[in-house]
Amino acid sequence: MLARMMKNDFLRKKAMTVTLFIFILLSSLLVSSGTKMIMDLTGSIHNLFTASKIPHFVQMHAGELNREQINNWAKGNEWVENHQVVEMINIDGSNLYLGAESEKNSIMDIGFVVQNQDFDFLLNLNSEVIQVRDGQVAVPVYYMQQNDLKIGDKIRIKDGGFSKELTISDFVRDAQMNPSIIHSKRFVVSESEFRSLKQNTGEAEYLIEFRLTDLGALSAFSNQYQASDLPKKGPMVDYSLFRMLNALTDGVVAAVIILVSLILNVIAILCIRFTMLATIEEDYREISVMKAIGISPKDIRKLYLSKYVMMAALASGAGYIGSFAVSRFFMSNMVLYMGTAPNSLLPSAVALLSVGIIFAVVVFFCIHVLRRFNKISAVEALRSGSLGDTKISRNRFSLFNNRWFSVPVFLGLKDVIGRFKMFRLLLFVFIVSSFIIIVPLNFLNTIQAPSFISYMGVGQSDIRIDLRHSDDVEDRFKQLVDHVKADADVTRFSPLVTSQFKVLNHEGTLDNLSVETGDFTIFPLDYTEGTAPRKGNELALSYKNSQEMDKRTGDSVILIVDGKEKRMKISGVYQDVTNGGKTAKAVLPYNKEAVLWYVVSLNVKAGTVITDKISAYEQAFYPAKVTDLQGYLHQTLGGTINQLKLVTILALVIALSVSILITFLFLKMLVAKDNSQIAILRSVGFALSGIRIQYVTISLIVLGAGLILGTLLSNTAGQLLIGGIMSFLGASNITFIIDPVQAYILSPVLLAVTVILTTLASIQSIKASSISKTIAE
Amino acid sequence: MVTILEARNLNKSYTTLPDKPHSILKDIHLQLQKGEFVSIMGPSGSGKSTLLYTISGMDQASSGSVYFSGREISAFPEQALAQLRLTKMGFIFQHIHLLKNLNILDNIVLSAYMAKSSSREAVNRRALTLMQKMGIEELAHHNITEASGGQLQRVAICRALINNPEVLFGDEPTGALNSRSTNEIMDILADINAAGTTILLVTHDVKVAARSERVLFMMDGELVADRPIGNYVKDKDNLKVRESLLSKWLVDMGF
Repeated sequence: MLARMMKNDFLRKKAMTVTLFIFILLSSLLVSSGTKMIMDLTGSIHNLFTASKIPHFVQMHAGELNREQINNWAKGNEWVENHQVVEMINIDGSNLYLGAESEKNSIMDIGFVVQNQDFDFLLNLNSEVIQVRDGQVAVPVYYMQQNDLKIGDKIRIKDGGFSKELTISDFVRDAQMNPSIIHSKRFVVSESEFRSLKQNTGEAEYLIEFRLTDLGALSAFSNQYQASDLPKKGPMVDYSLFRMLNALTDGVVAAVIILVSLILNVIAILCIRFTMLATIEEDYREISVMKAIGISPKDIRKLYLSKYVMMAALASGAGYIGSFAVSRFFMSNMVLYMGTAPNSLLPSAVALLSVGIIFAVVVFFCIHVLRRFNKISAVEALRSGSLGDTKISRNRFSLFNNRWFSVPVFLGLKDVIGRFKMFRLLLFVFIVSSFIIIVPLNFLNTIQAPSFISYMGVGQSDIRIDLRHSDDVEDRFKQLVDHVKADADVTRFSPLVTSQFKVLNHEGTLDNLSVETGDFTIFPLDYTEGTAPRKGNELALSYKNSQEMDKRTGDSVILIVDGKEKRMKISGVYQDVTNGGKTAKAVLPYNKEAVLWYVVSLNVKAGTVITDKISAYEQAFYPAKVTDLQGYLHQTLGGTINQLKLVTILALVIALSVSILITFLFLKMLVAKDNSQIAILRSVGFALSGIRIQYVTISLIVLGAGLILGTLLSNTAGQLLIGGIMSFLGASNITFIIDPVQAYILSPVLLAVTVILTTLASIQSIKASSISKTIAE
Repeated sequence: MVTILEARNLNKSYTTLPDKPHSILKDIHLQLQKGEFVSIMGPSGSGKSTLLYTISGMDQASSGSVYFSGREISAFPEQALAQLRLTKMGFIFQHIHLLKNLNILDNIVLSAYMAKSSSREAVNRRALTLMQKMGIEELAHHNITEASGGQLQRVAICRALINNPEVLFGDEPTGALNSRSTNEIMDILADINAAGTTILLVTHDVKVAARSERVLFMMDGELVADRPIGNYVKDKDNLKVRESLLSKWLVDMGF
């Protein structure tokens, strides 16, 4: 009996049942994949870190180095289990050919190393320690993916007269530098190839690495190292950062997948509510007859519930099984970079649990909706036939008093107002759709706008020249400044040097702080609070530093300048997403011992061709990076912008698909429900065109409301959301730069056209329905 | 005498089983003169309502033609038929069929606003006059759930008359009403007819049919009898006699 009723019900509402099934299926599929991914990610990272014996603390250093001093210090330190100094040859991208093209435009720092002896092993794709012979090289997986490389391919290093060709024998999983967001990559070569490279090309850099006996002592150890006089011309990274960076890329993907799953679940639940109420409405006579002959509401409820429980169970089950196939696709990137974790039942079990939650939410919701059965009195249902939700609310909005709208438009408007509750599903979908279209669009527009430079801790200038560390960098910088000074085309310029200073932290120990020094009034920057440093005892902090050091404008910090403590007042806070967001600015003489990089910003006379100027400086000061500000923006954010473009398109496709699907189903249901009213209208002489206008009006009113709310939400909550994400990177105060044409005209028009066409397509059935049959019934 | 509505060789069949068409209307010939008041009677399933819907253009015939004021409307496209229903025809139904989400006055003015043949002000005035005539003017701004069946049928009649139709079609217009309401509604219809509107009704009820001037009898899809019974308005006092004569005739017809 039950099975027969379910079958009939399914046949009656094929489209809605299938859609509900798909929504629940997708929702459980995604939540299961997302959960499994997070579980596997944790396992894989653990595995990778164990197999590679990842160092717990790494200090990079570009410059001279005394190994004896490090050895002695390590021997005397209570926590050091093992240590090593890894020498790395940094090769300029323009000298490395992974195919026909050089890596000139690559943002990666490319380093060549030999395999380590004790720990920090570089692994191949089977997670085994790589061994390379002479003439061979192991290339990071990042390049395998980017440049589509295969084992046996050749790579070439060319620097002036020096040229070397190496054959790829393996690809490197590098626990330290795996993720694409880390802008350093290590290539593995044999001892003799390494020596030859060292003699002929590149700059040496050292990784001073430690493994500790107790990971809990990491921050204490880090403080001890900072306080020592050991080499530290370069950034410092540690175990927790490796973990975070490795988890980030795939973790974010997993988080997004789970989020999408939750949104789908909400839509599914709203659809269920809508279908259930519509079904109950249709069946109200049967329900009241059942009640009248004495069947208890509980049993009637069971009848309706069992269908949805069965469907939800099947859909979640199918979603769970499907996730095993799909998650392989989601995890392919992770498997490539980190390898697989040993098989364990735990991820599958946790995924099952998450699917169970989705299922439980759906069932709970059905029970909740069906509670209103208690409220149906047999007499009431037989008499009025309405069940609250679609009850016509009385209002003063009447056709008689109306002067402006044509009759079909009025009827549509009246319908939306009168049955507003019923349209909540559609409204919700339109709000979500416009939100997921507009937020990425606005973010993309913001990040592409020239003014985004103000989030990068850089003032606006025509040209920016970057010098990275090398042995003769000091001389080259002087030459560069002299050259700029003498350049008649240059109107203004500002040499800025970033070097490391020690700063006293809360615990009373010393931390490193990258401080840019120079005159910040020449190319001013927007400060979120306070102003640029003007006096010798003033210091401006980037937002992230200000958060981490817990210092606001007006507070002071102790900086070690020339070996002496100096109290510096915080003059202001600015936003900076570069260099991990942790920078500072001061008008001090720079710390010659620990210079990180040199920058000269300059403006040229009106009429000067900037591109010519750039190439002139590029040639004169090779390998300095010379860019205009757009170029700088693009180099730093190019990858992000491209990814974001993809996300924007994807979001658009998803939003339009969901809108089409839900609009289609909703209107199909609506005209089925309104069948008799439509027949009445037709009987008194309404043409089909008038009825079409009425339903298009309904869709457009709901869409309009959805668009307005969605846009408001995008510009408030959406901006906060993006701000929240960006504040991790160092920009706390993102204000959307909105392209009004895209956000307020093109997107709404696109949605409107889609919705109108979908509406017209979904109300085709009104043509086929017979007026006389419906009327006579 | 002017023929306003005519059916020639009208056939209609439904195909319920493959190759077994079920005939509802069989070769119907019918003429309605302007100003006539005609009732169609017959047992359930004899095809009365189908005939009504087919000659009013709401339903398509399988073959044959329907002429309205000399024009063949059975060949009209949907849009033209809708326009015809809107401006030249009025309908009242057993289940009244008002729009649930509009108040009573809005239900009445709706088709006139749609037709746009006069200004909204003129329409409003006419609607209020009609409601006054029917004695329901105090219900104008109420919801349809707030009126009785008899009152709602009067609303439906106002709606049907708002565009001054040439023909008023009724499908069991008193079928859901008590006898007092039935009498009141029929008196109203008689007045409307007296004022010049042609009326075609489908009914089971002898009391209803006795108010018309011609009764058609249908059986198994065929029009088996066509009997003039004289004008009711001129013969008001003899209603009881008319009813008993009609009843007798119907018994003779096997009803």
